[in-house]
Amino acid sequence: MDIKDFIAPFAVWKRAFEKPFTVKKPIDQRPGAPRYRGFHKNDVDKCVGCGTCEAICMNKAIDLVPVAGREAKAGDSGLRPKIDYGRCCWCALCVDICPSGSLSMSNEYLWIDRDPEAFRYVPGVDKKPWDSATLGYSRAEGYRLLEGKRVDMAELPHAEALKSFLELVRGYSREQAEKEADRCVSCGICVASCPAHMDIPGYIKAVRDGNLETGLRLLYETNPFPEACGRVCTHLCEEACSIGSDGDPVAIRWLKRYIADQVELSNYGQILPRAEPSTGKKVAVIGAGPGGLSAAYYLGLLGYKVTVFEKDKAAGGMLRYGIPEYRLPYPALDKDIGYIESLGVEIKRGVAVGSSLSLASLRRDFDAVYISTGLPVAYSLEIPGDKHPRVLDGVAVLAAATRGEALGLGAKVAVIGGGNVAMDAARTALRNGASVDILYRRREEDMPADPQEIAEAKAEGARLIEKAIPIEVKDAKEGGALFVWNEARMVQKEEGKRPVPEAIPGAIKEERYDSIIAAIGQGPELSFVTEEDGIAIKRFKPQVSREGKTSAGNVFAGGDLVNDRKDAISAIADGHRAAQAIDRLLGGKGV
Amino acid sequence: MEYPTFAESLDLAIDRERAAVAFYDELLHLASFAAQKSTLAEFRAMEEGHVTKLTSMKAGGKLKLSAKTVVDLGLAQSLSPSEPSAAAMTYQDILVSAIKKEERSAALYRDLAATALDTDIGETFALLAMEEGRHKRYFEELYDSEVARDN
Repeated sequence: MDIKDFIAPFAVWKRAFEKPFTVKKPIDQRPGAPRYRGFHKNDVDKCVGCGTCEAICMNKAIDLVPVAGREAKAGDSGLRPKIDYGRCCWCALCVDICPSGSLSMSNEYLWIDRDPEAFRYVPGVDKKPWDSATLGYSRAEGYRLLEGKRVDMAELPHAEALKSFLELVRGYSREQAEKEADRCVSCGICVASCPAHMDIPGYIKAVRDGNLETGLRLLYETNPFPEACGRVCTHLCEEACSIGSDGDPVAIRWLKRYIADQVELSNYGQILPRAEPSTGKKVAVIGAGPGGLSAAYYLGLLGYKVTVFEKDKAAGGMLRYGIPEYRLPYPALDKDIGYIESLGVEIKRGVAVGSSLSLASLRRDFDAVYISTGLPVAYSLEIPGDKHPRVLDGVAVLAAATRGEALGLGAKVAVIGGGNVAMDAARTALRNGASVDILYRRREEDMPADPQEIAEAKAEGARLIEKAIPIEVKDAKEGGALFVWNEARMVQKEEGKRPVPEAIPGAIKEERYDSIIAAIGQGPELSFVTEEDGIAIKRFKPQVSREGKTSAGNVFAGGDLVNDRKDAISAIADGHRAAQAIDRLLGGKGV
Repeated sequence: MEYPTFAESLDLAIDRERAAVAFYDELLHLASFAAQKSTLAEFRAMEEGHVTKLTSMKAGGKLKLSAKTVVDLGLAQSLSPSEPSAAAMTYQDILVSAIKKEERSAALYRDLAATALDTDIGETFALLAMEEGRHKRYFEELYDSEVARDN
């Protein structure tokens, strides 16, 4: 035994009188460093419940859970992250990746509790002493694990665009599409906001993986118009995109277009499911717009013999006759329609139901009927002089442009209205060499048109005159028509309701135009439905169940005619749902 | 009608509501398809409801109408007073004629209220004017949300 072993017990005593290296009250005396990664905080109002934190957590310490008083809504799953501190390693990857930037960490690191369950909590919901702590870890300004900026889409310059009806948006290259797809975190919040509930994360992953065949299959599961919707969809999905909560939303619409553009129509047949054996039953569809043809596609797949009756000479409905070619080129639309027809769907063009062909006869000759005739009637201005020969209706102008007819709009055009039809009519007039004023009763921010459409119309040279209440149309001495309006101010007349335009006394304006295009709204054409058909109708809208069934046994209806969204993707979703319901009615499983 | 009694005031209002029922009856007779007919029948039923309501108030000797003034959206003034051609009536045509009809009634009652010598009778007409204003507002809201969606 060494001598040190005898001395050691006595030697340590000299340490007893030195200052200790440990502290008695660590919480008071050793606060975490300013950016120490302590317990989590979450700004639950900013959080969209996307679950990206849950997905990235390597220790599976995060679960997305429902919380009281917070419902799911567009762009918000209603769920919030719950942290399990038995698993958390405080790596802060969840904070770094959080798309909305709602998640952070306090610098509090000590917490004593006898109840082990207490160490699993929902930050921001379960109140904690560190909720208001200002110190701690949060994503540094400008630092992001996720790319916040979307890949730019090449577009025709405005000056160039006005010279023709060439498509404005050129589409992504493979490299661009894959880069853009890489921004998606697959949270799936977008799926709920899409009326057709398309598998958006699925087809974006397919783009990322370079597997376009899978992508196309996923598109067609819920939407047989990927070329059209890839260009003109109202893209509610992008409004809901979690990446958009603190950056540009993923360009979901362009990625859909990319998939459809890359696959040749001749290859669709090998990639997409073929129709099931014939059921021997027949379904009539009235209207070859996106809703009617969507129903026809899914019914065709289920083995029904489908005949579509279309009053116009070409199929596509408002996608063809209401959307100008610079936004949706006809070859792209024809590709979507062509594939639907390749399944055996027959489209009888130029056949209007109601004249020689009655709804009653269709009900007799077919096992079921689907009505999807949209809103083809343009409402008039309903002001004195609105029957002036130079007052045109926006829908008719756009249809004439589609048919390639000379529009004869003249050099100076007024467009009355603030919806997409108004924007399309204005931009069509601009491409016909006119100078264009868009007059709208309310403010720009109240306009129902897609903000991108408004911005583009203005960039192309249209002048927007807000708060203009139409008063009268009169003959102009120099020819054309004099449009008279009253300038208005927006007045908040009732709490909780939107402000109302109120005419400013004496503030009357007038201007001469060669043409005045009215685009204030559209309504249905239902003269072919008689009382004997037994379809309950309320205020020009057939009353339908969620799946589109009317009160008349085998008649279904959908699309703009019955839904409130009044866009192509909602019509497509209606058509799909109705096809499944018709299948169930006729003895199928409706899947 | 220069010095109408309460009962006479109500008779005037009831007659106007009956005239409205007759107006919709006439349009219903001329209507050519189901959507027109169902809309006209709905509006006719509303007017019939007003007849019943006013008749029962007349019998009770008291006008039980809200004295809350409805906010005027100012839509009716800017709409053309033209009447639609019945057979091809659109939803817009029907709504515009309903709005204009309610506007005319409200204006008449307002005038009668302003010229009434008896305070109670004046108040009766004022209440009737407010009621018609509410009806007008109802149709205006329908017009704003379902017809002039883009304006």
